[in-house]
Amino acid sequence: MAASREVCEKVEDIAPLPPRSDQRRDRTAGFVIVGGGIAGVTCAEQLSALSPDDPVTLLSASPLIKSVTNFRQVGRALEEFDVEEKTTGALQKACPNVRVVHTQVRAADTDKHEVYTEDGETFPYTKLCICTGGQPKLITKDNPYVIGIRDTETVQHFQQKMANARRVVIVGNGGIALELVYEIEGCEVIWAIKDDSIGNTFFDRGAAEFFLPHLTAGKCEENKPLKRLKYTVTESSSDSPKKGDTAMGGALGPDWKDGWRMKGKHDQAAHRVQVEYQCEVQEVLTREEFTRTGQTAECFPGTSRAEEQNDDWPVYVLLTNKRLYGCDFVVSATGVVPSTGPFLHNDQFSVAPDGGLRVDDHMHTSVPDVYAAGDVCTASWEPAPQWFQMRLWSQARQMGSYAAKCMVADRDGEDIDMDFCFELFAHVTKFFNYKIVLLGRYNAQGLGKDYELLLRCTKGLEYVKVVLQAGRMQGAVLIGDTDLEETFENLIVNGMDLSPYGEDLLDPNIDIEDYFD
Amino acid sequence: MPENRSYNDELNFLDKIDAHTWRIKKGFVPNMKVDGFFYVNDLLEKLMFDELRQHSRAAGFGGFLPAMKQIANVAALPGIVKKSVGLPDVHAGYGFAIGNLAAFDMSNPEAVVSPGGVGFDINCGVRLLRTNLDERDVQPVKDELAQAMFDHIPVGVGSKGVIPMGARDLEEALEMGVDWSLREGYAWAEDKEHCEEYGRMLNADQSAVGSKAKKRGLPQLGTLGAGNHYAEIQVVDEIFDDYASRRMGIDHKGQVVVMIHSGSRGFGHQVATDALVAMEKAMKRDKVLTNDRQLACARISSPEGQEYLKGMACAANFAWVNRSSMTFLSRQAFAKVFNTTPDDLDMQLIYDVSHNIAKMEEHIVDGKQTTLLVHRKGSTRAFPPHHPLIPVDYQLSGQPVLIGGTMGTCSYVLTGTEKGMEQTFGTTCHGAGRAWSRAKSRRNLDYQEVLDRLAEKGISIRVASPKLVMEEAPESYKNVTDVVNTCHAVGISKKAIKLRPIAVIKG
Repeated sequence: MAASREVCEKVEDIAPLPPRSDQRRDRTAGFVIVGGGIAGVTCAEQLSALSPDDPVTLLSASPLIKSVTNFRQVGRALEEFDVEEKTTGALQKACPNVRVVHTQVRAADTDKHEVYTEDGETFPYTKLCICTGGQPKLITKDNPYVIGIRDTETVQHFQQKMANARRVVIVGNGGIALELVYEIEGCEVIWAIKDDSIGNTFFDRGAAEFFLPHLTAGKCEENKPLKRLKYTVTESSSDSPKKGDTAMGGALGPDWKDGWRMKGKHDQAAHRVQVEYQCEVQEVLTREEFTRTGQTAECFPGTSRAEEQNDDWPVYVLLTNKRLYGCDFVVSATGVVPSTGPFLHNDQFSVAPDGGLRVDDHMHTSVPDVYAAGDVCTASWEPAPQWFQMRLWSQARQMGSYAAKCMVADRDGEDIDMDFCFELFAHVTKFFNYKIVLLGRYNAQGLGKDYELLLRCTKGLEYVKVVLQAGRMQGAVLIGDTDLEETFENLIVNGMDLSPYGEDLLDPNIDIEDYFD
Repeated sequence: MPENRSYNDELNFLDKIDAHTWRIKKGFVPNMKVDGFFYVNDLLEKLMFDELRQHSRAAGFGGFLPAMKQIANVAALPGIVKKSVGLPDVHAGYGFAIGNLAAFDMSNPEAVVSPGGVGFDINCGVRLLRTNLDERDVQPVKDELAQAMFDHIPVGVGSKGVIPMGARDLEEALEMGVDWSLREGYAWAEDKEHCEEYGRMLNADQSAVGSKAKKRGLPQLGTLGAGNHYAEIQVVDEIFDDYASRRMGIDHKGQVVVMIHSGSRGFGHQVATDALVAMEKAMKRDKVLTNDRQLACARISSPEGQEYLKGMACAANFAWVNRSSMTFLSRQAFAKVFNTTPDDLDMQLIYDVSHNIAKMEEHIVDGKQTTLLVHRKGSTRAFPPHHPLIPVDYQLSGQPVLIGGTMGTCSYVLTGTEKGMEQTFGTTCHGAGRAWSRAKSRRNLDYQEVLDRLAEKGISIRVASPKLVMEEAPESYKNVTDVVNTCHAVGISKKAIKLRPIAVIKG
């Protein structure tokens, strides 16, 4: 039995159902998952592994996120492990008890334990997991020149627009905005952020200072093997149902920008980035509206009015700092709001202030037999001291997997310990071609003023910041190839008293990773 | 402790015995029961003394003691026999220096076991797989092979094992070690023969391990980790000992091998942390005194000592299962790229060594066979030919000793010697040693802007800067060749094979 984790490429690939009379009408209630993003697919895979004889139905309005690399389920015996990578294949083939249905969920009746779809079908469940993710917050709705980037489908849309772009305005200071600013070439970028330093979500002002020179520097392409699980979107099949407004594709996984060409109209590959700090978008204006204001648009800094080929931009952006820029389009990357739409009809769910479905330490919502995982949920348990929720692909995966374990354990009446990944916040990513590792309370989140920082920094090479409270490490930001992440992860979890070392903990001449080996 | 002794006064306690050997005499630190010894060549010697000079000048810095002081403090532990030994790769470590070896007499009721003498990453170690491939076969598909390894072996912080494991599987694995991998089909029967202890410490008792350690270990089984853990595809660069190499199935330059360096990761850390806490209490109760608080220890026979040894054995077994899992995944990756079976690629395990472990062994002390608890931290067992505990294949060559260099530099295979058995309880070095370099010392010179940006009222920001500036140090000082050659010259191990990497897989 090959246990590949691939997910169906095309609807045609859906394996025929076992020959049981009229199964399509009379669906045995089982596990139902709504949402085909990272959380949903991980949940389905985990359910299939834990409970291979129970039906699992995955309802997805968009193409599935497919794990490309062959991280496979390894069987209990050698002969069960098939290392041959299947180039095509379905989640259903890998997990025979999982059925994927492309459909849009309309509503759910949690008393009857049923989910209803737009095309009139009813799916009964014994346990339901909501993994509907989030939707990008758009600065303006229904403006063809404003696009939100968050999921794999909008990247395709973005890419089409990019090909002819001379200038874009990027709004937002999160991970996707950071990556876009770095990746876009041959096109002027105005970057509007509401904070006083770049990348505020992920690091502090010191790290932002470290990165600033790289905003305009050229990139050197490296072709190294990928170390991480890679996600791509499967081909949209022609007969996939028409999507409603609320259904989004799966959120972007790590390395999403690989393979996407983000080159604008200008030939030179140079980075031309202007950061507008501490401002937001006040208004997005059409060309006509702009003309009516009688204002002049700003030139790109360093460019004279004469060089500015023309003032003929399709869209104009007025920032709260009163600057007005013309551009080809605006990218809104200001974060997401949980996408709870079809489930909030009858007010049964307890919803957190951020709009997410509250879940307890079993990923269980306030409604019996309904679980939620990923961006749609808000962790409402008492978190471990060094863990907090952040709507990241890595947490979506962890939550999807843990939710599946809880669903099975709860059904079987078994106890279950919370996965260890919820003990320590850990996120590894890459910005500006530097490896970034964030551990624990890396920005001293929630520590008040009662902490100290240890710092080591070499321009262009590495940035190491450690947050200490009462001599114990609470978190760390590691930028560059520091090789410190495993040691620091361990020191945080150990809760070891580090006060005797003081700042010498980061002395570059001490191999601290050996010291605590 | 007389911290204010001048450097010249310190030198009165140090004796050069021969070209490579120094003795640290009793009195260098208080309560030394035995002398300390360390092995160096000229470069390593200079490093050791520079470090001591710096220490005398600054009266120590941070919590870091120079290696010589650490070796001497270990010589002051109750029940230590013969000597405390610093191998040529000795450098600062928690409690014991990395590369410090010490043995304790099991028949002495005062004798102790110390988690700091084992290390946090319990049974961190190296294994080497051979193949029948040549560099020519691998070069054209090198990138594909590296990618396949990355795809198969989870690397980095927060990565999760791909081998399915429940809490009960873990408990079995902790007690069974490689036998668990064998039963589950992840290891070959021959692998077991080529591991220290046959890949299973029999005194492991999972009930001695706390639940936090188990929870922490569960997702990490079968993962490489980050930092100094890595897997490398290497080729044979030089053969020094033809006979010993042939015994290992290495017969020509350019032959491709795979080295895997990993350990018990967070599981070992938790076992060690839990034991340190328990032992600090036991020391007060039993009135055990040490020179350094980091040398927390417990009498071997005490409940805390026994509990630690059982937990440590579980962590050792965890590390073997971990390396076995990665061996399995590496074999699958090679088989996939070369479209054949691991069997046909002759992917046999040459050997598997532990770097961080304490073991009960029989040694001759003062002409008498004695049972010792040998703490090997950052050092490798290196038993001579004819020793009863080494596999049949190596009875005539001596035990293979695997020395991983700094990632990306060369690695070595050595063999154990009779002299090592006499002088160092059958032990030699484990790796490249300290990594001091001018390049590193120059770091951190331009942080002002960063500091300005970070400054916030009431928050203290401390900046690390190199204190030990090695004026005459070469660009890079971390040189495994210096270390290995010193061990060879002293005679505690013998060079057999030099390996060089062609691809590195790391977090």
